[in-house]
This record gives sequence, C-alpha cells and structure tokens, in this order.
Amino acid sequence: MSSHPWHPIAASHDLPFRHVFHGQLFGREFAVWRADDGYVNVWENRCLHRGVRLSIGVSDGRELKCQYHGWRYSNRTAGCTYIPAHPADAPARTITNRTFPAEERYGLVWSSLEEAAALPRVAGLDDANLLVLRGMPLNAPAALALAHLADYRFQPNNAIDSKEALVSIEAAEGFSIALRARSGSQETLAVFFVQPVDSSRSVIRGVLDRNAEGMVRNTILRHHNERLSALRDRVEREAAALPAAPPIEPVYESVAPELAEMPSLSASGRRAAITVQVARKWMTANDIAGFELRPIRGLLPTFQPGAHIDVHLPNGQIRQYSITNAPGETDSYTIGVKRERDSKGGSSCLHETVREGDLLAISEPRNNFPLRRDAVKTLFIAGGIGITPLIAMAQALSHMSLLSELHYFAQDETQLAFPERLATLGRALTSHLGLNPQATAAKLAELLVDYRPDMHAYLCGPAPMLEVARRIAAEKGWPDASVHFEYFKNTKAIDDSSSFEIALARSAVTLRVPAGSTILEVMRGNGIDMPSSCEQGACGTCVATVLEGEPDHQDVYLNDAEKRSGTKIMTCVSRACSARLVLDL
Amino acid sequence: MITLYDFELSGNCYKLRLLMSILGVEYKIVPVDFYPGREHKSATLLKLNPLGQLPIIDDDGLILRDAQAILVYLAARYDASGNWYPRDNPALLGEIGQWLAFADGITATASAARLHDGLFYDLDVEAARAGAHRLFRILDEHLWFGQQVGRDWICAADHPTISDIACFPYVLLSEEGGISRQDYPAIRRWGDRVKRVPGFIVMSGIFPAGPARAI
Ligand SMILES: N[C@@H](CCC(=O)N[C@@H](CS)C(=O)NCC(=O)O)C(=O)O
Repeated sequence: MSSHPWHPIAASHDLPFRHVFHGQLFGREFAVWRADDGYVNVWENRCLHRGVRLSIGVSDGRELKCQYHGWRYSNRTAGCTYIPAHPADAPARTITNRTFPAEERYGLVWSSLEEAAALPRVAGLDDANLLVLRGMPLNAPAALALAHLADYRFQPNNAIDSKEALVSIEAAEGFSIALRARSGSQETLAVFFVQPVDSSRSVIRGVLDRNAEGMVRNTILRHHNERLSALRDRVEREAAALPAAPPIEPVYESVAPELAEMPSLSASGRRAAITVQVARKWMTANDIAGFELRPIRGLLPTFQPGAHIDVHLPNGQIRQYSITNAPGETDSYTIGVKRERDSKGGSSCLHETVREGDLLAISEPRNNFPLRRDAVKTLFIAGGIGITPLIAMAQALSHMSLLSELHYFAQDETQLAFPERLATLGRALTSHLGLNPQATAAKLAELLVDYRPDMHAYLCGPAPMLEVARRIAAEKGWPDASVHFEYFKNTKAIDDSSSFEIALARSAVTLRVPAGSTILEVMRGNGIDMPSSCEQGACGTCVATVLEGEPDHQDVYLNDAEKRSGTKIMTCVSRACSARLVLDL
Repeated sequence: MITLYDFELSGNCYKLRLLMSILGVEYKIVPVDFYPGREHKSATLLKLNPLGQLPIIDDDGLILRDAQAILVYLAARYDASGNWYPRDNPALLGEIGQWLAFADGITATASAARLHDGLFYDLDVEAARAGAHRLFRILDEHLWFGQQVGRDWICAADHPTISDIACFPYVLLSEEGGISRQDYPAIRRWGDRVKRVPGFIVMSGIFPAGPARAI
C-alpha cells in the first residue's frame, strides 16, 4: 500500500534525554531512546537475556540498562557491554540487540522494519517551520483512520474562529494524507501520517506547514486535538463493530544460547576487518598523538572499557592500542600513541606518516582487560601511556557514579594525555608527577595500603612499575584475582630453545613444536586458525586451555595464580616443560 | 509519632510512604495481612476504619483514613516548604482537590484490574480496564498540553504537589492489571519526573529511574 517502508514511530518531543519511549510498528515493539550525544536508538524491545522489555529499562545517556538483570547495551551499536552475573568477564561482542533505522524529520522520529532507501521528502513541509500536533492513538486499524481523515475538517492557523474553512485533499499516498484548509486569505497545509501500530491499533501523527507562537500556538494545538479526538471516537466506534483482527505476531529471531552465556573469542588470526579513516590527529600531550578513527561506512563494533584494537600500519606492522572512549561514544574510536625513542617503527610510523584523512585497517575490538562494575571501590593506576585503557574504564565508572580513583603517574604536566577526558573525572583523578622509581614505589605502597574485600585495582604502565606494584599488592594482602594488569609489551627475553609435542584434543591432531618456533606458528602452519594480537605474550588474545602437561610460561598476561594452576597458556610465547601438552583446541 | 497501617503491595499505602520519605517524616509501620488474611476486615481494624480499607494512620491519637485525605494532612502538617499542599493558594488547592478525586478514580479502575489479576478479586475486569484507559487518556492529554507551556506536573505550579503523588502509584502499576501505558507517552515521561523527586522510594513493581542529564 505504501511506496516506502518508513513510518513515524514517535514525535521528536517524545524523546527527552534519559527517557525510554515505547514504540511499535506492525506489531513489532521498540525501545526508543536518545543518547546524550543526540543519537536516536530504535531497538527491538526485548533484552536478549530473558526477553524483558527494554522500554522499562534505564538510559544513562550512554548505555541502556535492562531493569531485571542489569545487562547493559551501548548507544548506537546496541552491543552488550556488561553482564552483572559475570562481572569479571567481557561479554562476547556478538551479543547485540536488533536495531532498526532511525531518522528524525518533520518533528517526528521515523523507522522501518526493513533496510530502506532514504526517507522521502514530503511536499509542502519544511523542517525549519512547522508545528507537530499531539499524536492521537486509536484502537482501530490504520486504513480505517486514513479513510476518516479524508473527511477531517479544520481551520487554518490564523483563522481558528473564522467561519468553517473549506478543506481539500492535496495528496494521499500510502499511509499519509495531506489536507489544505482555506478560509478567506488564510490557508494551512496539514499532513497526517498514520502509524500502523498493530492490526487494530494506530496513531495519527499530524504536522502543520507553519509554526506559531504563544497563545495562538496553544489554540491551534487544542483545535486539532479536539477535532482529532472526535474523529478518533467515530473511528473507534466503527472499528468496534468490525470483527477484530488478530494482533500481528512478529517473529523474534532467537539468540543462540551460547551468545547469552559466556564470552567467546570470535575473531581469528590477525584480521583487519574494519577500515577506518583518521578523522582527527592531534598532539594530546608531549610526544603523545591522539587519533580519532571513524568508520568508512556503517557502525563500528561495540567496545567495552579496557578493550584494544590491532592497527595495521602502512609499513606492514601490527600494533595494539587501547580504546580511550567513554561508554556510548561509538561513532569513533580514539587511541593515544606515544612516540617511542627506541621504536621499531610502529609509533614513529603513526606519528610521522599517518595523516588526517588517511585510511587504516583495524581489527574488531578485543577485551582482555575487562572491568568489573560491582567493586566497592576501584583503583586505577596508570604509568605514562598506560593511561589509555584506564581512562576508558575510569570514565565508565565515573559516569555510573561508582566509587573509583585514577592515579596517573607521569613525568610532568605536559605528559598528561587526553586532558579533556581527564577533566570529566573531577576529584577521582590524582596525578603524580616527576617521581623517581623509589618515590613511585613509596606512592604505590601508600595507594595500595588498605585492601578491603570487593575492591579491585587495574594497572597499566611500564613493566618495571607493574612488577613493583605486583609485589607491593601481594605484600599488602591483595589477592591476585583483585589486581589486574595490562602490559604494553613483554620485555622478558623469550627462551624458545625447547622442543615438545602438542596434542589438540578437539581437533585430534598431534604436532611437534621445534626450537625456534612458537605453538601459534606451528598451529597456523597446520591450518589451525587461532586468534592473536600482540604475539609477544602481553595482550591475552591467543590463550588456550591446557588439559595435560606442564606449561613453561613466558608471558606477562597471566597472573601468578593462573600460572601456578597450569590450566592456561599463551600460545604465542609460552612453551612446555613437559614433553607433551594437551590443549583444549 | 505516626503509625501507618500498611500493606506492602498496596499502591494507596505506598503513596503515603512515598510522601513521608520525600518529606523526611519518621513513621512506624503496622503490617496488615491484607491478602490472604483479610485483616483489614477484622474487628480491630474496622474500629479504626469502618469502610474496611487501607491505608489508615494514627498520628498521636489522630486517626485518619483514605490515602488522599492523609496526603492532605501530612503535607499541611509536615511540609515546611509549603509546596506539596500550598495552603494559601485557593486556585491551586481547588486544582489539587480535583486531581485527588481523579486519583480515587484511578484506584477504582486501574487498581481494581490489578487486584483482579494479582489477587484474584472477582470483578468486571474489562470494565475496570476500560475505565482506566478513559482516565489515562484524560491525564495524558492534560500532561501533554502542560508540557507545551513548560508545566511538568499535574497542577499549575513549577513544583510537584500531592496530586502527583496521589495519581502516581496505580498509573505506574497499571501493567499488573493488564493496562498498557504505551499509548500515553506524556504519562510515561511524567512518571520519570516523579521518580527523580529527591527522596523518591520504590515499591514492588515500580522501578527507579536513572539520573537526569546534567546541565
Ligand atoms: N479511597 C480509598 C480507597 C482505599 C482502598 O481502596 N484501599 C484498598 C487497599 S489499596 C482496600 O483496602 N481495599 C479493600 C476494600 O475496599 O474492601 C483511599 O484512597 O484510601
């Protein structure tokens, strides 16, 4: 019946900030919300967890939280960012709610159940000057409402009290009808869009071609509200006499159970799935360049605080950078790159060669440094460029008003990166400037002094600082499971002189790892795909589960307790002390 | 000290807990086994309220029934700001009274449907639901036009009054009686505003709102 699939589902004024609107089109329900950055989200109205309506959820302006079990979904992407029942784990990025297109035009919010070409213009309406009427919901099918609208009578804006105007039909198309009222020299165009809510429910959304101010505006709105209410009563009376059509039953694509459960490593190898453009490059601190990366088309995947991406550089190298954005800032990823004096090329390539407007290939975000959002207090301790994952995490907790402190160790003021983001943290931020190693250790001892149960600490910085912090935390009684480290790189010398056998339990193959080769290389050489990122034992991406045998850990990703337990191994650098390792692969 | 004869799942009792929390008034609760015990029909409670209904309060010997009447009393007596029931503003008092009566209409319809669905009361639930929808249409229209002139609350004031408290619970609990609020977007937005009043508390079936946007 309509030439295009777009329908209004709300008025713009129905979406104040921090409100979740309950919409519906052809039986399919929507949770509709405007994020603090203005983006209008139109989502399937069901939490992927238990099907609870998201329209009763809470918008914090960046994420929408389901009312029942607290699953959180990100602005724009609708990807799940946090599952309270698994506070220590990063949800799989594949847990993503269904989204629908959204367009704001003529004071209305439009959506479509299918991929659609651009929303067509409506003749006679100008976004800059119009008046949106109060939406009129009816318990009647859209077709019946449209039929009655053909006989709708109203007065031009400036002739509400004049003698009854002449009304003519200007256009009628699909689910809309345009009427013009004339009285003397006055005339007004009214375009009515009828939103098909369900088989026997609809909403009349009217827009007049001219705005008005003050009392006149109010009088016009009341005039139409009265007449549309009367029309509604007539339509509903007629509808009540019709045999009731059964409600439309939309098909909900069910979510695979594994998606609603635990995280999985979905990316394989070192793929650069996404092309981004450097939208902005600037010096955010002395020797630290900020890069704002925007997608060429479509949306960027959901990221979680603590996540990193692989950046594939023009010189062929692959480097990892943490995403610094606050929750919900999903229109770009911002990374910070420090110029390293002894750079093997990665950072200097980004600093010197890559310019605004250039294209870069990046991987999907991975989160091997997941943030709990249930700690009684969280300490973030950053050394230098180690600020990047922690600033994303600190912004997330700060936005949720959860207690946290960010301690930022740097040489001096000019070394503090992303000052505009730091400023949003207020008093949660303390910088410690110009401390030598002894003073740094003393400060760390001070910060880590009073561990209480359910506190968590996240640290990222140069390896020597992290090693000192690890020792101090242990002395002060912090359990391994409460102190989380992210290393930029593994500075340990890797000993790859051993040779051993690996048995891959699920693939039923046995392979020999000779001296000079890694487990990862041998597996790849035999056609076994394995995700990886830094390939130096720092990022945690290429982890495998050990079923038998004794690993020879050479990474800096696993903590001491994990290493002692011998159940996990980083396949890019670690090896075996025993003759054979059985891996769950 | 105020004693509230209370049933936790009653929206009418919750109104009073809500206002007392907002006003910071201390009170004691006497739980009444409304369901399944029907204790509100016991001789002891009939002596306090011959209508056999909750809520009832006893404020140092002053015994009052009817949620709306008690809201009037609490606000007039304990609200230092004078905003919740502005005693020297006749027009506003008239308006408040009008919406207090409306709130009782919401109890008679939306709450009745909820009692039918939740506590298996034997009544004409279709009539109760239709009645609630009729009232919700009126309230939604009223709130929508209010917003057009910058008015956030039920009555013509730049602050909430006890009429907002009186109407709030059974509107927000309506889904428990099979009454959707999807067609009442202005009511849904007003619900968020009430939830952001400092001192707001929840009851079973009523969820908190998130913080408003700063600025
Ligand atoms: N107008 C009264 C109505 C109170 C009312 O209906 N109370 C319910 C509990 S929420 C009740 O006691 N119902 C039992 C009955 O009416 O027999 C008020 O607002 O307090």
